[in-house]
Amino acid sequence: MTEEVSKVDKVVEIPMTVEIPVGPQHPAVHEPILIKVYAEGEYVVKAEAYTGYNHRGIEKLAEKKSFYQDIFLCGRVCGICNAVHADCYVRALEHILDKEPPPRAKYLRTLAMELERLHSHMLVLAVTAEIVGFDTLFMHMMRDRELIMKAKEIVTGNRVLADYIMVGGVRRDLNSEKIDKLKKILTKVEPRIRYYWRVFEEDVTLNKRLVDVGRLTPVQVTSHGLLGPVARASGVATDSRYHDAYDAYAEVPFRIVTRKEGDCWARSLVRFEEMQVSLEICRYILNHLPEGEAVPDERRLPRRFPEGEAFTTVEAPRGELTYYVMSKGGVNPYRVKIRTPSYNNIINTVPFYVGHTIADVPTILASYDPCISCMERVTVIDLRRGTRKKVSMRDLARG
Amino acid sequence: MSSDPLEIPDVLKPIENLLKGVTIMKPGRVVALLEPSDVVKAYAALKARYGEVGLYFSTLVATDLKDEGKIRIDYYVNVLEKNQYVVLRTHVPRDDPRIESLLKEAPAALPGECEAYDLLGVVFEGNPHLRRAFFVPEEVAEKGVFPLRKDAGV
Repeated sequence: MTEEVSKVDKVVEIPMTVEIPVGPQHPAVHEPILIKVYAEGEYVVKAEAYTGYNHRGIEKLAEKKSFYQDIFLCGRVCGICNAVHADCYVRALEHILDKEPPPRAKYLRTLAMELERLHSHMLVLAVTAEIVGFDTLFMHMMRDRELIMKAKEIVTGNRVLADYIMVGGVRRDLNSEKIDKLKKILTKVEPRIRYYWRVFEEDVTLNKRLVDVGRLTPVQVTSHGLLGPVARASGVATDSRYHDAYDAYAEVPFRIVTRKEGDCWARSLVRFEEMQVSLEICRYILNHLPEGEAVPDERRLPRRFPEGEAFTTVEAPRGELTYYVMSKGGVNPYRVKIRTPSYNNIINTVPFYVGHTIADVPTILASYDPCISCMERVTVIDLRRGTRKKVSMRDLARG
Repeated sequence: MSSDPLEIPDVLKPIENLLKGVTIMKPGRVVALLEPSDVVKAYAALKARYGEVGLYFSTLVATDLKDEGKIRIDYYVNVLEKNQYVVLRTHVPRDDPRIESLLKEAPAALPGECEAYDLLGVVFEGNPHLRRAFFVPEEVAEKGVFPLRKDAGV
């Protein structure tokens, strides 16, 4: 790569400081990642990723805390998809304990995780609209996303950090009144999602910015370990809900959404269709919630764990999230390894910026769904003139 | 820790000749025990059998087994065709943890290898991107501390 750069006589280095709130240790909650993009004229000729600006050491901390305290620690890895983190970790503990949660709890866990997928997908699609300069769409989508946040609050008790899942079940049950409220919210939000879906399919501006941008082939996806909607938009049918059939996914009907195009547009449309599937899953759960207990008696849970190890996966909104938990007996885990989907999707996609224009870089990054909330500081360094200029991510995206 | 040795499952047939043992990790993951020098060969054989889009490298988990004087390295591979997770498991000595990099076969191993080097000090030979402070703070890296080692004192 260095040789390629040296052949170019005028190079503008554009280091972008990006804070990406996903993941345990790297692209995680309000943690910055630096993606240096070298451009020749408008086109990217080289890209590099720098990580570790805010390493939180969660895996080390998890070894010091008890198995049960770690449920809350894992829930705080990511603010957006905290229920899936807790679910994945708790299922690993349940495997070590040989404990099976009751059917009602499995359905409620699935409901909470699907609501999370809905609001997470709405967030990234709204951000995609904002990045390409469609602020009105961003605001409308974020307004309607609040309905889902309300639904999550009804189910879990909190609109953001749920702390809902516990070993052997969940912390709160649903009654008929809450189920009716949830059904009303789903009825209200569905036409809004369909409307936004149509906007993404038909709007000329969005199509110009998203179609044929950041195209990934199926081989690039599997060789670089890309996951979730990014993989499915390139025709790779990978979905942990199908592979592992955890919680209620063995019983709840759903389909894996794939597309062939592999570009930013396809990644957006996969997310829209997945929202439709999530709505169907939520409705099915609310109509077929099994009878019985869902909330276990915490006092009867064993304090000490037997020796054992488990590797669990969940399909988080951004793709497959994995937890490895190892116990040597006692009250603390010996090893907890967390691999978030953004870890693969952001670091491993860095080579694929090459050949695109600078203005496409934020659009492509947004289409990988790195939970962008703070990527507003970009410094453009003009090496020829020796000047530095701070540019917002939005201005950069507008070219 | 693991269940009794098993018959070789179908998914591991392509690497049958490299196996030192097979166990199962909950829930239903097939664990293939390998020599450190055979890991890259095993991954290449799986890729040759299932095709480039028939599997993907999911994650790398390195664990410090201080009492045994070893560092265990697990490579998690999702074989899509068989809908089966395969774990390629190997051990390297703790005082000189070295193993061939998987990058040439699986570019997806990049962050996992960089992280295992930064946090546990495992050297992946042939990976040009290894550097300290990939994740850990620079002051920790400068002291030569590998935080996920059990005697790191972190």
